[in-house]
Amino acid sequence: MTVTMEKPKSGMSDGVYEREELLNGCQAVAQGVCLADVDVIAAYPIRPYTEVMDALSKLIADGAFDAEYIIADSEHSQFEIVKHASSVNARAFGGSSGTGWMYGMEALTVTATDRLPPMFVVGNRALDDPGAFGVEHNDAMAVRDLGWLLCWVTTPQEALEHVLIGYRVAEDKNVRMPMALAIDGAFLTHSQHIVKIPSVAAAKKFLPQYDLAERRLHPDNPISVAPQANEDWVMEIRRQNWEAAKRARGVIKEAYKEFNAIFGERYAQPYFDEYMTDDAETVLIGVGTVAAPGRTAVKRLREKGHKVGYVNLRWFRPFPTEELRACLSRFKSVGVVDRDFAHGSPDNCGILMHEIRSCLYPAKNRPAIVNFIGGLGGRDLSIADAQKMFDITAQAAKKDSMDGYITWIGLRE
Amino acid sequence: MTTTPKIDYEKIKGVHKVPLEELYTSGHRTCQGCESATTMRGFIKASGPRTIVTGATGCMYVANTSYLTTPWIVPWMHTQLGAGGASAVGMAAGVRALQRKGKIKQEKINIINFSGDLGAGDMGIGGISGALQSDYDLLIIMYDNESAANTDIQATGLSIYGAQTTFTPPGSKHRIMQRRWKKNVAGMLAVGHPTCKYVATACATFPPTDYLNKTRKALSIGGPTFIHTYDPCPKGWDYHPRYSNELGELGIKCGIYPLYEIVEGNVIYTWDARKSGKGRIPVKEFLQRQGRFEHLIQEDIDYIQKGVDEMWEEWEIPGVAPLKGILKARI
Amino acid sequence: MIKRVEVQYRGIFQKNLAKKIGSDIVMIASSMGQRAFSNGRYSDAPERNGIPCKYFAFVSPDLSEEELEAECGAKLEIDEANVSVVLDDTMCKGVEPWGWHGVRPINERVVKDGCLVVITKRPHEELLQFIGKKPYNYRLATLDGEASLAGLWVNKDDLTYEHVLGAIAAVEPTIISIEAVEAYLMKKTKDKKRAEAARAAYNSLRQEAKPPRVKTVTPNEGIVWTHEIPVLPKWFEMQEGAVVPAVPRGFQMGPKGQSRNTGFKRGTTKTQRPAVRFDLCTKCTLCWAECPDECFDPTTDGYYDIEYQYCVGCGKCAEVCPVKECIVMVDELQFHDNNSPWEDWKKDPKTYITSLEAKKGTERVNYPVVTGKGVIVTKGEVMPEGKIVPVRKTEEVEV
Repeated sequence: MTVTMEKPKSGMSDGVYEREELLNGCQAVAQGVCLADVDVIAAYPIRPYTEVMDALSKLIADGAFDAEYIIADSEHSQFEIVKHASSVNARAFGGSSGTGWMYGMEALTVTATDRLPPMFVVGNRALDDPGAFGVEHNDAMAVRDLGWLLCWVTTPQEALEHVLIGYRVAEDKNVRMPMALAIDGAFLTHSQHIVKIPSVAAAKKFLPQYDLAERRLHPDNPISVAPQANEDWVMEIRRQNWEAAKRARGVIKEAYKEFNAIFGERYAQPYFDEYMTDDAETVLIGVGTVAAPGRTAVKRLREKGHKVGYVNLRWFRPFPTEELRACLSRFKSVGVVDRDFAHGSPDNCGILMHEIRSCLYPAKNRPAIVNFIGGLGGRDLSIADAQKMFDITAQAAKKDSMDGYITWIGLRE
Repeated sequence: MTTTPKIDYEKIKGVHKVPLEELYTSGHRTCQGCESATTMRGFIKASGPRTIVTGATGCMYVANTSYLTTPWIVPWMHTQLGAGGASAVGMAAGVRALQRKGKIKQEKINIINFSGDLGAGDMGIGGISGALQSDYDLLIIMYDNESAANTDIQATGLSIYGAQTTFTPPGSKHRIMQRRWKKNVAGMLAVGHPTCKYVATACATFPPTDYLNKTRKALSIGGPTFIHTYDPCPKGWDYHPRYSNELGELGIKCGIYPLYEIVEGNVIYTWDARKSGKGRIPVKEFLQRQGRFEHLIQEDIDYIQKGVDEMWEEWEIPGVAPLKGILKARI
Repeated sequence: MIKRVEVQYRGIFQKNLAKKIGSDIVMIASSMGQRAFSNGRYSDAPERNGIPCKYFAFVSPDLSEEELEAECGAKLEIDEANVSVVLDDTMCKGVEPWGWHGVRPINERVVKDGCLVVITKRPHEELLQFIGKKPYNYRLATLDGEASLAGLWVNKDDLTYEHVLGAIAAVEPTIISIEAVEAYLMKKTKDKKRAEAARAAYNSLRQEAKPPRVKTVTPNEGIVWTHEIPVLPKWFEMQEGAVVPAVPRGFQMGPKGQSRNTGFKRGTTKTQRPAVRFDLCTKCTLCWAECPDECFDPTTDGYYDIEYQYCVGCGKCAEVCPVKECIVMVDELQFHDNNSPWEDWKKDPKTYITSLEAKKGTERVNYPVVTGKGVIVTKGEVMPEGKIVPVRKTEEVEV
């Protein structure tokens, strides 16, 4: 089923959207946080996500919404402030990028194991050393095994919407997991597009009040959270987290159904979008803003008669195993675009490649699958790059074994 | 002279007026004679049931809460080793926002974090500095047993010069491996945060009710406050638990543990160990009662005594800030 | 064939001693050509003063090092014990090392015909008033001696370690023989006194020794063990986010008036308990105020009752009490119940006082400030009823 990018259906009049504004990814996230009536925000500067916090402080200063805004002394403190605010039943928000995200890793770990649902935006950025501002996905990927919800978006409009969707999923009583909303440094954080901003009423209709209920910290609800556990208990606690991550898939489906019902058929499928894949033989799959050059290359190659398509994966955790396996096993060859690295991993492939190969392993008819590592440290991934990737991926279908074949796209070599 | 500042709080006038009900109760896996357990018992008794507590990783976390059980009657949550300050700020901000937005009832809820000397004085000092700069009503208590006691006694920034720990064992070649002088955390935090209205040092059992009242003052004066408690530790200091109560007292009386409050910039000595005040007993009387100093020789004890004498007789504000005065001449 | 040894000890007070015993069993067994290794029970860490702990040594004449490790090292607890050494006889009342572990009998792991070796001054019969029954015969060896307590840094060299090695050689020579023990001690310390101490302990536990110190305990000897082992909840029966309910708030004057953590009573941590002469009490609050474990329950008549199930025996109350002989630390094995002392005293003061003084005996056993420096034994004094003699004046400091 071919789905073109759906423009927000309903007009201004019926109160679903309030206004339009030219916003970059960061500013769009800030609008989402404002609409979510967040209670506590902890800020700390690190490019490229900083503008989220710039925008939020201005919104608070102008009274657009009411929240405690704390300038933390480090990312470690920033994330702990957000975690503990969430523990007293306040909706909390934080964010970071690259090496700052890594500085607070201890706090990110326990936020997941404490099963608290704050939202963090990750302006994807190269990890140090050397210092580099450009996009790279290893920062957000670092929480992928810890019990986090992890989702990439491709446009400021999606970024705004996924603050609401993210809180809806994270705070669901069957989930209660922290949410990382990943937006590509520069290509999304700093790319300004006209964004339709939902009305407060519509946002309230979609996103219910945060309620940690029996697990909230308050004198009227005396509990002890996370006592020291020995080997008699940890297996059982891990199993609870494991089950929650499984349940999250269903809740995500519900969330998009509710979202589309209010805001118009914005998302045909919850976990990923398919573009011109109905009769495609060769497909690229990636996360984040590479979708734009990817889909444009599809459009142009289709005009030349090539049966190509693009899959934009949104939810990396929980990984949509069944749905993606069914989708990708329809094609002859699949090219996985990794804007990250995994030095010394099997076949030295990228993280997305490993997950997709593993997902396809039990598929009856497995497509040939190749890997592209590109766009690291902020380098472009252009339409030309995408066409080259399609070309290589198409060859994989003919050659008997190009499995695990890797191309460093755009490298001077 | 400045007038002595007034804090409006409900003073506990004497041991017979101490509240009888426990909010930190029996059934915690602390050592026999653990003074830090008495510190936990004290602050929550002083603050009362409308309190939320976080405890950073350390003895008072691991020893107190063996999963599926807890000694806490008030709501308590674990926090990371260096996140004492941030945990208090996070809760205080959450409560303030929820109350302002009418999501929970408007009332005074005490927000308290306790961290050890490692958690607060070393790893978490940045986060506590951030907290003391905020405008939230919160109290951070550093329970100082002068070691990373939960990991079986390693030196921290607050260990006394010369002390034996597993990181600083006396050897045939080096008798003294712990060569750092005890970090002056309360003084540092008071000097570093001009808007912080209350910093104090205390000992849970000496003098009686002093610590409980300091806790109440901290919780009543408003804004972020800090209390450094001196907690004798039978396991780490190697003395028999029976004598726990007197170790704190001796540490204060020999001047190693300055006991004071700083209320809006005014220093009030609880135990003025200057010669001009109550004076000091020799540090040897304190050190010799502990197996961790068994290997010291007179030269080491003299070195400690000299440092303590300097602290009380040469500092501009003895025991609080190691500033000896203003030199006229340009060096 | 594997021989398993567990050394049950008081945390921190006997940490170095237990580890030394376990390690040297390995060295001596190896010197006899056997494979052996030792480790501590991991979840006892971090140890706390007085908490019951275990150290293990495993020996095999035939298995490979790795197979021995796989059998005994890949687990945290010992499956069974051929020899179980108890370094403090008060542990015979049962041991509860953590929450939701329950109070376990000291001989829980002893195998059929295995041997429980207890360092004690007491006869078998007295110990068996506390030890649980076993469904099969096992041996109870009373190794003459007092519990050797020391601190972390200042160790006590009172030949306990040598005695235990000799004792093991006597009751289970296949693990370590007395000859190997003596050879090892001589090689390591060149000090005949130590080898002789091991030999003396060895001789004291031989069959022919008078009085016989090794008793075969039959299934009807010992007590019915009433403490059950808690059943741990399944993963879906536990609250999410590692949340547990707080102890419910509750306070009223009188015995057990304060609500407490019922999941972990800690009573088995004490070697001594405070014996209180209420008739001498001046109601100064210090025992109640100073107790790190909140064990004193204030009563309507101003006295302070004790909830012994939660007392860990630190001795602070005895130290701070300003009245002579009012609170005295007494050997835990003198007591057979955790009744409220205040209630017993109120019911019948005379009987209470006489039975208390009988338990206190004529000597007061305490420790110097630095635990490893010996034991202080002083003369006790039976105070006439109501005769209050101040020991120290509590310093009033203007606050």
